[in-house]
Amino acid sequence: MEFAFTPEQEALRREVRAFIAKEMTPAVLAEMEEHNDGHPFPRNNCHSPHLIALFKKIAERGWVGMSYPKEYGGQGAERISQYIVEEEFHRAYINVSLGGSGAAAILAAGTEEQKRCYLPKLISGEFSFAPGFTEPRGGADLASLQCRAVRDGDYYVINGQKMFTSFAHHSSHIYLMARTNRDVPKHKGISIFLIPMDTPGITVRPLWTIQNAPRAPVGTTYGACRTNETFFDDVRVHKSTMLGEENKGWNIGSMGLNLDRVGANRYLMSVQRDEDIINWIKESGGLGGYSPAQDPAIRDKLAELWIEAQVCRLMTMRSMSIVEHGGNFTYEGSAEKVWAPEHGVRTTEAITQMLGPYAQLLNGSPRSIRSGLFAHNLMGAFQSGINHGSVQIMRDQVARRGLGLPRGAKG
Amino acid sequence: MDVLLNEEEKMMRDTAREYLAAECTPALVRQMEKDPRGYPPGMWKKAAELGWQGMALPEKYGGLDLPLVCLGLILEEAGRAVAPLPLHSTVVAALAIARDGTEAQREAVLPGVANGDVIMTWAFQEQDPRLLPETVQTQAVANGNDFVINGTKLFVDNFVVADQCVVACRTAPASKGNAGLSLFLVDARSAGISHAPFVTLAKDKQSEVAFNNVRVPKANLIGELNQGWPIIERMLDRGTALLCAQILGAARKDAEMAIEYAKFRVAFGQPIGAFQSVGHMCADMILGIDGGSLLTYEALWRLDQGLPAKVEVSQAKAFCNEKCLAAARNSQSIHGGIGFMMEFDLHLWYRRITAWTMRLGTSYEHRARVSAALLDTPGRVVLGRPVPVVAEG
Repeated sequence: MEFAFTPEQEALRREVRAFIAKEMTPAVLAEMEEHNDGHPFPRNNCHSPHLIALFKKIAERGWVGMSYPKEYGGQGAERISQYIVEEEFHRAYINVSLGGSGAAAILAAGTEEQKRCYLPKLISGEFSFAPGFTEPRGGADLASLQCRAVRDGDYYVINGQKMFTSFAHHSSHIYLMARTNRDVPKHKGISIFLIPMDTPGITVRPLWTIQNAPRAPVGTTYGACRTNETFFDDVRVHKSTMLGEENKGWNIGSMGLNLDRVGANRYLMSVQRDEDIINWIKESGGLGGYSPAQDPAIRDKLAELWIEAQVCRLMTMRSMSIVEHGGNFTYEGSAEKVWAPEHGVRTTEAITQMLGPYAQLLNGSPRSIRSGLFAHNLMGAFQSGINHGSVQIMRDQVARRGLGLPRGAKG
Repeated sequence: MDVLLNEEEKMMRDTAREYLAAECTPALVRQMEKDPRGYPPGMWKKAAELGWQGMALPEKYGGLDLPLVCLGLILEEAGRAVAPLPLHSTVVAALAIARDGTEAQREAVLPGVANGDVIMTWAFQEQDPRLLPETVQTQAVANGNDFVINGTKLFVDNFVVADQCVVACRTAPASKGNAGLSLFLVDARSAGISHAPFVTLAKDKQSEVAFNNVRVPKANLIGELNQGWPIIERMLDRGTALLCAQILGAARKDAEMAIEYAKFRVAFGQPIGAFQSVGHMCADMILGIDGGSLLTYEALWRLDQGLPAKVEVSQAKAFCNEKCLAAARNSQSIHGGIGFMMEFDLHLWYRRITAWTMRLGTSYEHRARVSAALLDTPGRVVLGRPVPVVAEG
């Protein structure tokens, strides 16, 4: 066991911190405030010239996808180094991770041609994928998806609707799960396609979230004001856009989702509030002369939450350690995905009871605290426990895969 | 950063687990609950042969000089088997001598500890059970070549079989800066010592120990006069982190018994583990224990590195207190009525886990230490970096 980073990793952390201190200019911050619209870091197709320039600089340093092989645009670095970079940028509210981009699944299941086509451009920021997973009646039962892809010579013709296709309005591509066989059990008839967004027949419509009016301040957990629904009407794509084999999409998709859960972002989005409230209490001078730090019940609660946050951190470190040893997960990724989101909710709710009526004040309100961060977070934190595999599904995975408990009659 | 066990650590854990699985049966645990000494001397000797008592003691005195992390793995296995051995009290007191005692004190007791001849314990708590310096009222007064000790200590573990006891005494009135305490190495059979065993939940051997004009040679002072608190605090911190390991071992075994039971016990037409309410309960038990384990080994690792670890120790104990108790209670719940029966073994774990969570600091005490470090110190806190904040070099 070794609970410390190496001197080289600590040096990398200092380098990233110095970069952030220099490059996070007021112009960048202003663009971030303005474009909190669903893309954690708008890499293309948006009107944020300073942010795009900043992302280019970050990518040029080799700080995106550091652990990816050199031949695909990465640095061949240890996963933990990539984690350190992601952590430092996340603290500046910038997401440089490739989590959710499809990159992990493409690296694991793509053809050589696909890896060479997509990975370098995902890493450079030229490409980005919107998630095309769930559907109007699907919810968390992802395998029930109905969007169809029908073979027509060397092409597939796709018809259907995808929900919560976040960033689709900024993305170059969509990572689409579609049904290619309706005559087999639901998990066995699914395939994955990598489709350019400018393919004819694709329509993106905004879905506005409860963070829309007013917009959430930067740094809110799930502060995005919009996601999307995306329609596919006779969309023709070449068979070479398929990732992996036909009808093997469920396994590839699950594996990709599992790999995407590992990293700095989900952990940090859940624990940042712990730091925020403690630092606010220490620095703000309190509320009309009253400091929550004087209240023994609040002190006890803050310590309890801080300890939970350490557990979230260490569970993330455990996942990192497993990746370094070859990535043989049984339930540890699911464990992280139970603990971090639920902890985030507990902290978010506890803070409202520390600040009382101040915690209801939204961005732009007189007397709002930290631009209404704590109020907006109350509208977003629970989302982390719902998407990307709900905490209930994660507990099921721990119970069945991790502990070997049997499946129920309706499981 | 690698929070997983390496090969050597795994081997050490497996060896201890195999030995205890074979030798430390529930029947033996039950027998020792009724035994006046509470431990089987043969197993204690065997433990010494396996290197457990001397694991983190210097080689010079017969120890193995391995890190506390390794000793934690052993205590975890001892907890898993609810082994009736005076191991925790012995290693905690012996480590205080090894780290802060004089050369003569080390030579006097440590070789005996390492070879299984000497059992040790420590005495700190009094009627006010908090682990704070101002709670110590027991007096030690210089007299000729001796100190004379008067006072009463509570909850002294294994005193009934202890040869040597490390005793915290007041040698000057309480003052700011926690001066005025001193630590002594006391022969447990000294004239003037009497003790009364408690009847405890864990049916272990704890005593109230009265010191009535007990003479202790001046050479038995550990560290400097009136400067005992930092030594005591380090001893208690090591003891707390090691107790966490012991609780976790017991709690994981307790949870595993519930999980196995849930796989085979059929009700309403299916194994109860197939009901999501039970499956999710089992998942939460394991995740809580995993969390406690990560916190505990981080604390032990920091202690090994000589890094500040007060906050990490308190994080571990506050969390283990609650999550291990919950795991034990949920295990009872999953087992149903049979778990309430004396003839069924489950209570051997439940009674110990619950009792151990009450020792060496309650959740409230430990969270108070954490909140003081978070709130009453200057500087911004950042997760993953030390608290209280230290200037970066």
